[in-house]
Amino acid sequence: MAQQANVGELFSMLDSSVLDMEDITAAFKDNLNSDRGPMLVNNLVDYFLESNSQQALHILSSLQEPHDKHLLDKINEYMGKAATRLPTLSLLGHVIRRQPSWKHKLSQAPLLLSLLKCLKTDTDVVVLTTGVLVLITMLPMIPQSGKQYLHDFFIIFGRLSAWCLQNPGHVPEIYLVHLHASVYALFHRLYGMYPCNFVSFLRSYYSMKENLETFEEVVKPMMEHVRIHPELVTGSKDHELDPRRWKRLETHDVVIECAKISLDPAEASYEDGYCSVSRKICTHLKHHQTDLSASHYSDTLSSYGTSTPNSTPRLTLSQMPGQLPQTLSPQSMQLSTEPQQVMQLLGVTIWSPSVTCGMTTPPTSPGIISSESSQTSSQPYSKFFGTAGGKGTPLGTPATSPPPSCISDDFVHVSPPSAAATPHKKEDKPDPGRPSLSRQQNVINSEKALEAPGSKNSVPLRDLPEFLGGLAYDEDSVEKDKEEDAISKEISEITTDAEPMVPRGGFDSPFYRSCESLLGCQKKPQSIALGVQGHSLTSEHLTSSLDKPGPEGTRDTPKQAFTPIDKPSGGTGENPAGNGESQTSVETSILTPSPCKVPAQRGIELGSWQPPQYEHLFEVALPKTAYLFVSKKTEELFKKAKGNLDEDCTCSTSPVEVLDRLIQQGADAHTKELNKLPLPSKSADWTHFGGSPPSDEIHTLRNQLLLLHSQLLYERFKRQQHALRNRRLLRKVIKATALEEHNAAMKDQLKLQEKDIQFLKLSLQKEQARYHQFQEEHDNIVAQLHSQIRQLQHDREEFFNQSQELQTKLEDCRNMIADLRLELKKANNKVCHTELLLSQVSQKLSNSESVQQQMEFLNRQLLVLGEVNELYLEQLQHKHADTTKEVEMLQVTFRKELEKAKFYVQQQSQRLDASQKRIIELESQLAKKDHLFLEQKKYLEDVKIQARGQLQAVESRYKAQKRITQAFELEILDLYGRLEKDSLLRMRKLDENAEAAEVAEERPDCGNEGCADPMAGYSEEAVGRNGETKPPSTHGSSNSKGGSSSELSTPEKPQNQRLGPFGSRWETTVSLEPSSSVPLTVGSLPSSKSFLGMKARELFRNKSESQCDGEGAVTINSLSDTLKTELCKDPSMEVKTLPGPENPSPSLKNQESSVGQLRIMDYNETHHEHS
Amino acid sequence: MAEDSQRNFRSVYYEKVGFRGVEEKKSLEILLKDDRLDIEKLCTFSQRFPLPSMYRILVWKVLLGILPPHHESHVLVMMYRKEQYMDVYHALQVIRFISDSTPQVEVFLRMHQLEAGKLPRNPAFPLEAEDEVFLAIAKAMEEMVEDPIDCYWLVNCFVNQLHNKYKDSLQQLPKVLEQYLNLEDSRLLMHLKTCSTMSRLPYNLWFKKCFAGCLPESSLQRVWDKVISGSCKILVFVAVEILLTFRMKIMALNNAEKITKFLENIPQDNTDAIVSKAIDLWHKHCGNPAHLV
Repeated sequence: MAQQANVGELFSMLDSSVLDMEDITAAFKDNLNSDRGPMLVNNLVDYFLESNSQQALHILSSLQEPHDKHLLDKINEYMGKAATRLPTLSLLGHVIRRQPSWKHKLSQAPLLLSLLKCLKTDTDVVVLTTGVLVLITMLPMIPQSGKQYLHDFFIIFGRLSAWCLQNPGHVPEIYLVHLHASVYALFHRLYGMYPCNFVSFLRSYYSMKENLETFEEVVKPMMEHVRIHPELVTGSKDHELDPRRWKRLETHDVVIECAKISLDPAEASYEDGYCSVSRKICTHLKHHQTDLSASHYSDTLSSYGTSTPNSTPRLTLSQMPGQLPQTLSPQSMQLSTEPQQVMQLLGVTIWSPSVTCGMTTPPTSPGIISSESSQTSSQPYSKFFGTAGGKGTPLGTPATSPPPSCISDDFVHVSPPSAAATPHKKEDKPDPGRPSLSRQQNVINSEKALEAPGSKNSVPLRDLPEFLGGLAYDEDSVEKDKEEDAISKEISEITTDAEPMVPRGGFDSPFYRSCESLLGCQKKPQSIALGVQGHSLTSEHLTSSLDKPGPEGTRDTPKQAFTPIDKPSGGTGENPAGNGESQTSVETSILTPSPCKVPAQRGIELGSWQPPQYEHLFEVALPKTAYLFVSKKTEELFKKAKGNLDEDCTCSTSPVEVLDRLIQQGADAHTKELNKLPLPSKSADWTHFGGSPPSDEIHTLRNQLLLLHSQLLYERFKRQQHALRNRRLLRKVIKATALEEHNAAMKDQLKLQEKDIQFLKLSLQKEQARYHQFQEEHDNIVAQLHSQIRQLQHDREEFFNQSQELQTKLEDCRNMIADLRLELKKANNKVCHTELLLSQVSQKLSNSESVQQQMEFLNRQLLVLGEVNELYLEQLQHKHADTTKEVEMLQVTFRKELEKAKFYVQQQSQRLDASQKRIIELESQLAKKDHLFLEQKKYLEDVKIQARGQLQAVESRYKAQKRITQAFELEILDLYGRLEKDSLLRMRKLDENAEAAEVAEERPDCGNEGCADPMAGYSEEAVGRNGETKPPSTHGSSNSKGGSSSELSTPEKPQNQRLGPFGSRWETTVSLEPSSSVPLTVGSLPSSKSFLGMKARELFRNKSESQCDGEGAVTINSLSDTLKTELCKDPSMEVKTLPGPENPSPSLKNQESSVGQLRIMDYNETHHEHS
Repeated sequence: MAEDSQRNFRSVYYEKVGFRGVEEKKSLEILLKDDRLDIEKLCTFSQRFPLPSMYRILVWKVLLGILPPHHESHVLVMMYRKEQYMDVYHALQVIRFISDSTPQVEVFLRMHQLEAGKLPRNPAFPLEAEDEVFLAIAKAMEEMVEDPIDCYWLVNCFVNQLHNKYKDSLQQLPKVLEQYLNLEDSRLLMHLKTCSTMSRLPYNLWFKKCFAGCLPESSLQRVWDKVISGSCKILVFVAVEILLTFRMKIMALNNAEKITKFLENIPQDNTDAIVSKAIDLWHKHCGNPAHLV
């Protein structure tokens, strides 16, 4: 609710205070951002439809994405209602022309359908026209959606084209003009976008007879204004509708594409290859028009003075102005609302080729634009729009269209009358017809600028400053020269480009122009303000504003005031104007509009004089392409100038032109009427004009106004698209230029580098030459050195050979020396040897001498001895004696003795032999015996071992026997022990009975015995207790005791008893005769005595029996054997030692019978041993 | 060596193929043919090879000194032995230590005691540890030898040999057993140690009784072959082999008493294998048996 209230407040504020507009708009935008609902948008739309508020419109047209649906829905809703259809459409138009970001959604929106439906069904011309314009605007935005609605578009075209002809609603003709124009635009758009489909539609639709007339009347003329679309040749129906085709193109691209195929100078845009063709056609058109205008002019001249408003001649007359103001109004509007934006646009366009093109004619204009663009906003506008709009001039492309051409047009336009009135050239100024005409034109221009909704551009603006300038002339004609001087100085200082122009003339046409504009801006702010608010002003305001100049001067004064305008307008061609300023003679020639002169002058100017002036500048400022382009354009200009002469053209006028003329005419009439009539009588005199009721008239006018407004908006939209296009092209050109310059720079660099390379190559060659030289020198030196080396080597070899020779010689010498030394040694040896020999020989000599002496001595002795011998021989012969017998005897004896000895020796040797043999025999016997001994020994050993083995067995047996005996003894002793115990017990009982009797008798004995008795008893007990501990000792005692005890117990046989122990000892040793008695005693003793004795006897018997039974004879034998051996050894020895008379023979005899006895004896003996 | 060269050249292959004792019998016969038997050679032979059962008693008697080396005196000596036996027997009968109903083993014991001079005063006196050993050995020997006289003499001499010749070395055997068990299976040893069984193994049964009553006689006599021929170490290896054979069971048992109990009553089924392995082990560890004691 609060928000609702807030919204309400906002709406109330929306138009209430204009001051804080920004805040309100911001508030709305905030609301829109926060609120996504449709409420606010709907309210806004309602509000706009109610109040037609500009703020609401502004907000609506800038709606953002999420609200578009609500807006479209709302518009669609209101579209359905006939009452609100028109404002809704205009709202839609506004919104669409802003090209919102969501424009692509339009194709899907139901709004489009309802719009199409409306166009198909509605009968209101105003609505239709507005709708068609909206549709045309919308089409380039949604090109791909055409597929669905294409047929609808065509149907609409068919319907409306028929409407134009048949006028079913019987609406005023004036509406039809508008409708026709919009249909014409629709035709262009459809043909441009979908040529194949459209042509096929036309073919099918107008083949029907009922439509044939429409075709002839309406469509065919339209077709005269288009070229053959290239798509008709290359494309197809399907290809046209292909979304890919449209994807690459933006909205303005589509618009330009459509404009390209147009031949209508009002519509067409010339680019690229189309230029020349279109230009030619246009020049034709132009001439035709000029022709027309001339004729009309003559008409007007002829009907001069009547001053009756004739529509037709006016139309024709105003054709040129109509063309000129094409691009007028936006300037004023932009001036009013968005001056900054315009400035931006200008900033972009300042550097556009159009500016450079402007330079071709007036070099100062760019200077002004660059330096004082902000101040002289009108001037760049005029430049820009003049170029962009083309001013209807055939030069077409904004880049190149030179102002001179338009001037020439004006001039041409003016010239026919001047040509016609060449004789009264002076009268031209005071001539009321001309001024009136010009005035009318100006009035129309101003009117256009103020009220016309179209998108006409610069030329009227240019006219406006002229007009203003004219006014300035009017008022400040005196000041003008001074100011002009001052400003010219200023500008000459500011603009460098203007300098070359300065020497040509103090007053250059651009300068003049700038003056004009400056003056216009400064001196006539009212008029500008008037122009600023032009489109929002009502027609009444207009009239009032127009009235201002009116009251300012009388009927004549405006004429006079306008006369100076005539001059510039007539000489709007800058050069002529400039000339006119500088040289009056030239001025006159210019002003005398001889058709021959003007082209001639133009030719002179462009061909010989002016182009060279600027071309060098172009070369500096622009790359070659631009220069080529410019030169091309100048050529075109020439052609066009020549084409001026041609005068025949059969083209029909386009609906646009018709509409323009209508507007001009209407405006003209309007102002005239308004001027004629005093204000108060206006309403009353309405009938005076057309006869129709004033309300109708007002309505018609209002509608007309609306139509014009929509037309204007449409044209503005187109202009925006063109602007976009221009910017893009400009960027391309700049890029190309930059690339070109870059290329040039690179080429320069390349050249420099090539130069460098060449230089380097040269130096390389030099270096190479030097190197070669050095190489050669080096080679020479090397060769020299080599030869030296060779020589030296040769020398060296020679020396080497020499030294070798010398060395060999040296060695030879050495060898010789060695040989000589050897020889020397040998010689020395020889010398020594000979010396030795010499000494020997000398010794021998001495010896021989001595020997000789001896020999001599001996010889003498020999002689002496010989003599003696002879002497002795003589003595011997004298003595003779004989002893042989004796000797013989002796010999015989000796022989006999020898024989004897020999015989003896023989005997002795024989004996020796015999004894030796004997010795050998004996020795062999000895050896045998030794061997035998050894064998015997071995055998003995063997036997010994054997015996030892046996002996071991026997020993073990013996040991066993010993053990057995021990065991037996133990047993026996044990038994004895028991026996004595028993007897002792019995003795005690007996003692008690016969104590007294025996004590006396046995006292001495008993004394001993008795004394021993207790001891024995004790010892017996001890034996019984101790067992085997002391068997040997006990034996003796026990025996004695036993003896004593038995003695005591058996008094009947004390002898025996006594003898028993003692006798057993002594009997066996001393006498063994009663061998049988002994066993008796042994056997009888116990039996007679007691139970114990019985037992003992039994024991013995058992033993003997068992021995006899168990072992038999063999055992007895063996036992006897053993006993024998034992007795042979031990007892015999003992017996021998103890009792002397003892022989073994009886014992041997009794051995069989007295085994047990022996045993006992043995036993006793052992006792003895032990004891 | 001359004998060896005369031996069948196939003997090598017999042994390789696994026929043992094919050649041994012949060589033993050759040995026994000698007059004045060579005791040393017999010892070596018996240590190296198993004795053929038909000669076993004879060899044992010779080795134990029951019979002299000369064949001639064999009959005579045997007669002496018999007489001695009879004497002792008779004496025991006389002193009423034995009767006809007395079991043969006890008779042997009493005779042994008598001969050793250790006969108790009364047969009712409790038996000593030595006597238990004797009884066990005698019982085993009784199974092996039919003739009671031979049997007595063999038992007697065997026991005497144990007591005299091996007295010192028998006491060392438990340590030796531990040493060889460590070599063969240290884990088992560890186990036994952790169970503190090592000190409680049936050493009495194994070493003093020479496995009499532990192994069946057929296996036992092969062990005794080695013992009689002069090596008591074989006992250690038999013990080790028993432990190794029943390793798994022993490892499963944790209690020293249980282990001892089990070892005292080992199953009798594959004792032959145990003994064979033990002999192999003995050969392996002690190399040339000739130098073993």
